[in-house]
Amino acid sequence: MTPPTGNAGRRGWDPLVRLTHWGIALAVLLNGLLLEEGKTFHVWVGYAAFGLLLLRLLWGLVGTGNARFSSFPPSLSAARAHLRDLLEWRHRDYPSHTPLGAWMAYTLWALLLVVALTGVAMENDPFPQNGGEEPAGWASYFSEHDEEEEDEHGEGRNGEHDDEEGLLGEVHETAANLILILAALHVAGVGVESRLSGVNLVRRMLPGTNRDA
Amino acid sequence: MPDPDQTDTMARRDRRRATFLALTLALQTVACVFFIADAARDFPKIGTDLHTTFEALVAVALIVGTGFGALEMRRTLSRVQQAEEALSLASGAFDKVVRRRFAEWGLTPSEAEVALFALKGLEVAEIARLRGTAPGTVRAQLTQVYTKSGSANRAQFISLFIEELMAHSGLAPAA
Repeated sequence: MTPPTGNAGRRGWDPLVRLTHWGIALAVLLNGLLLEEGKTFHVWVGYAAFGLLLLRLLWGLVGTGNARFSSFPPSLSAARAHLRDLLEWRHRDYPSHTPLGAWMAYTLWALLLVVALTGVAMENDPFPQNGGEEPAGWASYFSEHDEEEEDEHGEGRNGEHDDEEGLLGEVHETAANLILILAALHVAGVGVESRLSGVNLVRRMLPGTNRDA
Repeated sequence: MPDPDQTDTMARRDRRRATFLALTLALQTVACVFFIADAARDFPKIGTDLHTTFEALVAVALIVGTGFGALEMRRTLSRVQQAEEALSLASGAFDKVVRRRFAEWGLTPSEAEVALFALKGLEVAEIARLRGTAPGTVRAQLTQVYTKSGSANRAQFISLFIEELMAHSGLAPAA
């Protein structure tokens, strides 16, 4: 007889979690490694990722099952116990994120919010154009748009504006680099937990799979 | 007892529906962010006029729509969860029925194991290989199982449980 599959963890993540996860992962890779900052596509991808992040956070409040924040509260003591388990190569089942995984999720979300908000502060136009002219084909979206256009509304405080942008840019970049490092650590963590539990945890995040094999 | 087949079909349909809702919600929120960011730039420039008021209304409608989408998604997912719980309950209940019958007939642990394999449709040779015993032993144990359960052969033995299932599902031969 097969054991009852009542454990929420075995069912995998719900479609909204999967979609926002991969959408944001793609955006982080695109904007962090491929598309240079200041280019129109970078801005678009950033705004889209911001939307997905807001949706995931909303879902943490009103969602169901293991997607809710309440199913993986940040707990230092649980994280310590989990770390001890890891060091002794011991596995324990958790219905939602593991305690360390929960901290990873909250940290990543906080950093993503910082990156998104500083990004919006630097470029509050989701449709930046090249100096106000009509874009010359798709290629222009990959080129840097004219920052001077911004300044026609902010004349007289040009120097101050640049300083502000400098600090925002600094925060934006540092947080973004931290996200890339943590994302690598996150992938490593999933690998370790998969080895430990003998269950391919990536399957629970992939589209179309509803049960562990 | 819920009809497992129907429950399963409904759960599958709801799961597809949840995926569709997730896609729609993602599109809605992304559109929301773009639209509100764009509209927010118009306010300091233009102030409140017909254009910006309309944009504000659209923004509110988008947010409310997203909220309702999230609620619908939540309802769909809890329905999937309920259906899956009912299913596992049904299979768990059948498991319980089988074990209770085995106990009633006074099967020994090894006879119970052989009976379970037989119930799953395994051949004598396969059961012998799985249990690491001789086929003759398995045959003798099966005979004991049939005798204790009051059935003449494997077909009758299995039909004892089929009857149990049909009694619960309300499926009668006449239907």
